[in-house]
Amino acid sequence: MPVSLLTDPQMQFGAITFFAKLHKGDTCGSNGLPLTPNSIIVIGKAQFLKTIKHPYLCQYLDIIRGKHERTVVVSQYCGEPLSNYISKEQFTLDEIRKIAFQILTALKELHQRKIVHRNLSTDNILLQQNKDIKLFNYGLYYMTGCGQLVSFPIMQVLYSAPEVYLDSPSGIFSDPKSDIWSVGIVLIELILKKGLWQSLKLGQRIRKILSLIQCNNSSVFERIAREHNCFETYETIPDDLKNLVEACLSIYPKNRSTAEELLQREMFEDFTTKKTPNKSKVCEPFEVFTINELYHWWQLAGGDVFQELKKQGLIRSSPPILSLPNLVSIEGSTLGQERNPATLYDPRIVQMPLDALYQRFAHIPLTCYYPLIHATSKIIESSMPPPYDATGLPLIIREKDPEYQFHRVILFRRLLHGYPYTKELILKEASKDIPPLLRGEVWAALLSIKGDYERQYLRIDKETPTTTDRQIEVDIPRCHQYNELLSSTEGHKKLKRILKAWVYQNSNYVYWQGLDSLTAPFLYLNFNNEAKAFACLSAFIPKYLHKFFLKDNSMVIQEYLAKFSQLIAFHDPHLANHLHYINFYPELFAIPWFLTVFSHVFPLYKILHIWDKLLLGDSSFPLHIGLSVLTQLRDRLLNSGFNECILLFSDLPEVDIEKCVSYSMATFESTPKSITTREHQNGKFHPTSELDISSVTLQELNRERCPRISATDFVNLVRSKPEKILTIDIRNPVQFSRSSVMNSINIPFSSVSFGEASLENVGQHSTRIANSKNEIIVVIGNEETDLELFPKFLLKCGVSRVCVLHGGFSLLASATPTILISNTQM
Amino acid sequence: MANRTGTAQRPNGSTQGKICQFKLVLLGESAVGKSSLVLRFVKGQFHEYQESTIGAAFLTQTVCLDDTTVKFEIWDTAGQERYHSLAPMYYRGAQAAIVVYDITNQDTFGRAKTWVKELQRQASPTIVIALAGNKQDLANKRMVEFEEAQTYADENGLLFMETSAKTAMNVNDIFLAIAKKLPKNEQATAQGGSGQGRRLAEGDTGAKAAGNCCK
Repeated sequence: MPVSLLTDPQMQFGAITFFAKLHKGDTCGSNGLPLTPNSIIVIGKAQFLKTIKHPYLCQYLDIIRGKHERTVVVSQYCGEPLSNYISKEQFTLDEIRKIAFQILTALKELHQRKIVHRNLSTDNILLQQNKDIKLFNYGLYYMTGCGQLVSFPIMQVLYSAPEVYLDSPSGIFSDPKSDIWSVGIVLIELILKKGLWQSLKLGQRIRKILSLIQCNNSSVFERIAREHNCFETYETIPDDLKNLVEACLSIYPKNRSTAEELLQREMFEDFTTKKTPNKSKVCEPFEVFTINELYHWWQLAGGDVFQELKKQGLIRSSPPILSLPNLVSIEGSTLGQERNPATLYDPRIVQMPLDALYQRFAHIPLTCYYPLIHATSKIIESSMPPPYDATGLPLIIREKDPEYQFHRVILFRRLLHGYPYTKELILKEASKDIPPLLRGEVWAALLSIKGDYERQYLRIDKETPTTTDRQIEVDIPRCHQYNELLSSTEGHKKLKRILKAWVYQNSNYVYWQGLDSLTAPFLYLNFNNEAKAFACLSAFIPKYLHKFFLKDNSMVIQEYLAKFSQLIAFHDPHLANHLHYINFYPELFAIPWFLTVFSHVFPLYKILHIWDKLLLGDSSFPLHIGLSVLTQLRDRLLNSGFNECILLFSDLPEVDIEKCVSYSMATFESTPKSITTREHQNGKFHPTSELDISSVTLQELNRERCPRISATDFVNLVRSKPEKILTIDIRNPVQFSRSSVMNSINIPFSSVSFGEASLENVGQHSTRIANSKNEIIVVIGNEETDLELFPKFLLKCGVSRVCVLHGGFSLLASATPTILISNTQM
Repeated sequence: MANRTGTAQRPNGSTQGKICQFKLVLLGESAVGKSSLVLRFVKGQFHEYQESTIGAAFLTQTVCLDDTTVKFEIWDTAGQERYHSLAPMYYRGAQAAIVVYDITNQDTFGRAKTWVKELQRQASPTIVIALAGNKQDLANKRMVEFEEAQTYADENGLLFMETSAKTAMNVNDIFLAIAKKLPKNEQATAQGGSGQGRRLAEGDTGAKAAGNCCK
């Protein structure tokens, strides 16, 4: 059964929920901005926990924000809590040693990452079928800023160390050694086979723990054993275990050993030398899929964490009237409100049911889990199941289709394992669509990120104050703040570091407002990998925004905008004429579009879809996106004057992004490359030859309303797609008859009267031009002809796809005489 | 070029008033609240996380002043120093400017003074300049004293108000004060008005338009 791959007992997850603390009274910080809700701070902090992958730790999967600061934490949850076994199952001493080893190994891992568990108890140590353990919910103290962001104490009465009680309620005393104490208590319970002080009330239990402080010189373990009438058992315990427990239960934290020290004890030698904790984790990159992906598919297949929590009664809504206070002072503080018990710590865990997903995926054959990506033979192919076909569906649907995403994720996961050798295949697949779950990694591959980008990032100075800091600091709290990750404290810190690193690394460039927006998508997708976000940004800018961040970028931007005007003229002469007539220049509205490749203009979810395609194109693609935005608003623009048009763009109306993407793809593909060639484009990504367009000045560019086409593109078109091209030779008939491009028509420049914008003025060929709907019209002249007036005239007449051969006829004669014919012979 | 004056039939039909159009530009350091002031004035809204302005944004709003309807064409510019090179395009030919600073930040006041100097030197000599000390709601974090700014404004013949886009304090008032101060006499009447956008384009060509906002 293929489903067996899915039904791995460790591939299970559950959720806990709590309320973050509400801000009291004043809701604005010192900078006048609203205080970040605590639940958002929690979400930002908790992202780091998702990066922890360890055999003895449950993996964090998701942190979701509900109403009224409710926070839901989804994490791997498998096995049974140790507390279920304490009195039932008899653990052998060796088993207890193994458990001790595994708990300490897990804690060592956490402590190395500066995470204090603080909450350790037999309830959140999960025993697996193979008798290994996994710690669950170990990040609560960490994600809540040492408990500062919630209104309940994070501790386990009985398991918490004495110093935890002695700390003030608002204190943030966090010492990893308090976890070691908890380990001691857990071990005692395992050894004595009973829960401690089970019959006592909460207050009495606390008193018991605090009374242990008095046994300064005597053994804490012995005292506990005596209190539980287990002194005989105590005496039979081997010394190694007894000493371990004693070491854990030192009253003074400073005398208590760390997890690392304890692991070096002789008793653990057997475990450390074997070092084969969990084979599948060692070769994790070759896992077919991870629990993360399972969770993603589960959500797509209709899994809803909130719904499950509601079903189990963890989320209950009460009538709002019950939460009204009795008294509200004029300053806004409220009195006489009973504390909502839901704001207390709720230890319950809800396991998420996976049956629906199993059923949904039951028919998927095993071979689909291992798609062949390189050579396949006919025989293998014939035995393969037909591919899941979703090509006809809109992107939005494909992204939400669990089965389609299953196939895509499995395939991309495999391709990414092979990166960079699979770059070509990734490109090919990405042109269909990119699975949202793996978008960050796929983008990095498309941007050719490889090598040691992490160390490079580490080396960059991101801390030294610079003159740019003030600008960065005022921009960050305004950058895509509707997004939870980017508005979190953690998000602000990361964005600032990346921007500072970029400014430091690119001393030839400067920080322009908008760079923040440009960085946002990369940070959003690589929230837990700043270095990768930085690497992506650093690869993106040279490719798409070469020289845009120069201190004086006006030449670069002017050129880009001039090209934009020409592209509009090329594809939509009516619109171009109208905008020209009302003096509505791209300079007035398109600078933020191109400087930030629309990241300052659209919300994140739209940017992601646009950039999915952008990353497959080159630096001219943003021009096509711009054109497609204008095309969508075409009717309104054509019927508006200057003021209405500019107002339209000051508050950009809803743009259908799927249409926008498909239209920009279409024009991008149908436009010869040289139409959008720029002087300032990065030569690294645009190889040039002598037949290409070069040394066109900005003045010329601004004057010429129709773009130029290079001889290379022109010759290619004449040769490979003669039906797509109409060549108009405007030289005099003598020259034309001596030698001309095959199939070209001759409209001598001097024969046309440009007075009135009417196609008939061109003479006999006017109908031919008028009927040239899908053809590219290339105007060829020479030094003697005016190469601006005639194309401009065609543009005024509303003829689309007009361009001018760069270099004129003489260039063709010398470079590629093979496409030329002599009319005199005909 | 200028405020087009025309006659308009009021809804009640009782009086006939003039319509004047004025081009107004907002200048000032970034994050002082230029866009927020405009948003408050034009739409009555306030966004806590108002996005930064790149290049410039354009909005219009009409106010009524006795028998005159004043239509503001507002250019809201980017604050970052680097976008400075774009600024002349927007303030050239403008009949009014609001220079904004943040009362909780002394540096932004310094920057406002630089803008005023630049306007006095480069913009139309008849331009009406208003100084707005924004973020008045954060008066407890004040770094620029009211008197200091008032003195400066008096010395330079500027309108001055402390404003708060957040609480809407003085926002309409400052625009109204500008409207009152702008000349609405017949001499200031436009002849053309063939296309409102031309204004900016002509300004672009430089000397021709400079200093001659009422040709």
